[in-house]
Amino acid sequence: MRRVKWVKVAKTNEIPPGHRKIVVPFRGRAGIGIFNIRGGFYALRNICPHKGAPLCTGRIGGRMVAAGPPSTLEQTLVYESHGEVIRCPWHLWEFDIRTGRCLVDSRAQVLTFPLRVEEGTILVQHPDSLPQP
Amino acid sequence: MNLPGAKPIAAPGWTAKPKQSISLIDCDVHQVPHNREDLIPYLPRAYQERVADYGFPLLNSGYLNVAGRAARTDLAEKFNQEDHHGGNQNWAYQRLRDYHLDVWNIEFALLTGETLYTASVIPDPDFSSALCSAANDWSRENWTSLDKRLKLALATSCSDPDLAVREVNRLGEHTDVVAIVLPTGAQIPYGNRFYHPIWQACQEHGLVVCIHPGAEGTGMVGAPTGVGFPTYYMENRAARASMAMAHCTSLICEGVFERFPELKFAVLEVDQYWVPGFLWKMDADWKSLREQTPWVKKLPSEYFRQHIRVGSQPFAEPERRVDLMGLLEEMHAEETLLYCSDWPHFDWDDPVTTLPTLSPELHQRIFVDNARELFGLGNDS
Repeated sequence: MRRVKWVKVAKTNEIPPGHRKIVVPFRGRAGIGIFNIRGGFYALRNICPHKGAPLCTGRIGGRMVAAGPPSTLEQTLVYESHGEVIRCPWHLWEFDIRTGRCLVDSRAQVLTFPLRVEEGTILVQHPDSLPQP
Repeated sequence: MNLPGAKPIAAPGWTAKPKQSISLIDCDVHQVPHNREDLIPYLPRAYQERVADYGFPLLNSGYLNVAGRAARTDLAEKFNQEDHHGGNQNWAYQRLRDYHLDVWNIEFALLTGETLYTASVIPDPDFSSALCSAANDWSRENWTSLDKRLKLALATSCSDPDLAVREVNRLGEHTDVVAIVLPTGAQIPYGNRFYHPIWQACQEHGLVVCIHPGAEGTGMVGAPTGVGFPTYYMENRAARASMAMAHCTSLICEGVFERFPELKFAVLEVDQYWVPGFLWKMDADWKSLREQTPWVKKLPSEYFRQHIRVGSQPFAEPERRVDLMGLLEEMHAEETLLYCSDWPHFDWDDPVTTLPTLSPELHQRIFVDNARELFGLGNDS
């Protein structure tokens, strides 16, 4: 069993709520995105599982949902979960920042990294110590 | 049975025998009156006067859809020998029975009408609605009442949805009525909320909505293509797939199948080769653009496979069998494809040389079971 390695990636005061920082803390040039959602920090691999685009540079926003089609005359367009969704710059696929789950293709999942905060410092788990997929 | 014309394919080299042992369901058969004037007695008196004064207001696009009302000439020659004027009012039905239903052992045939279902495009919605009602009463009295194998798609004018709903409610519960039919030519695509009262009524009565070429470029509706009016009939035919795709995308994007989860559409005589690419394209675009129509909750291909069926005729003729099988696989033909003959038109597809070497299972789906499930045709129908 590998020893768990943690890597410092940022100070918490570098990434205010609603913002992100892209860092390259270990091998691989694409790096990872560190996101602050209302004080909670999340780390995603900066590679879109669709076409390999720099996912974490995409637009952060919410999710548009609807109870029914407009012809039902219900309130249709509802904007929710502001700040929790990132849309890839290529082709605009939506991902849940917290889980890495793709919201438009159940087979697509962006790699997430375990993350912890210690005395104002954000650390992510080194991929060498992650369980192999 | 010794029928003249019972071997309907007389072309040199023809060796196939009708598959009389296999019963079929044919989802596109045209019941054509010898004279359109036959319909006049079925109109209200006021519109009889209108027709007497002005003729039928149905409009023609001007394209040359083949002489002889596009019918097979082998049939037309036979009919000219029939004693139409000798008091036999049912000769047109008998022609269908003797030269089609009996020959090919057809268990059910969907009557999709003559051109009256294109009445939606004439400007007067009351007149167009009256024409459709007359056509429906004529069809029931002269066709479906004569033969339990015949099922009717109601001619429907959708230029006033309230009138269309009234017609669906008037006839929708009769066991010989299983569908309505609308032309591909439309002022706005069929997913638009303008039409939703009609879809509501069809869902309530369990009627399938058929879309069939007609009316494009005539009356109040737009050109047959997105780039305007082509010059020749062949160009018009080639544009059919684009109209089918426009209607199907509209139905999905407007959330019609979220609002009416039991509703089914059948797009007939608009080819089928487009379905695989259309499904790929729709799914890819949904993944990018879902947030603009979030009431579309599933992949568009899932709605298509659940709610939309495609007529087989005129079936594409790829050179290589591998391409044919790929087409059938990618369009999920075992769910989506309905055998259609388009009888009695020149470009019909007979049930022997059309899709001739399928597995028995797939043949059964395309030629029988898909239609049986779609129209609810069972032993009690």
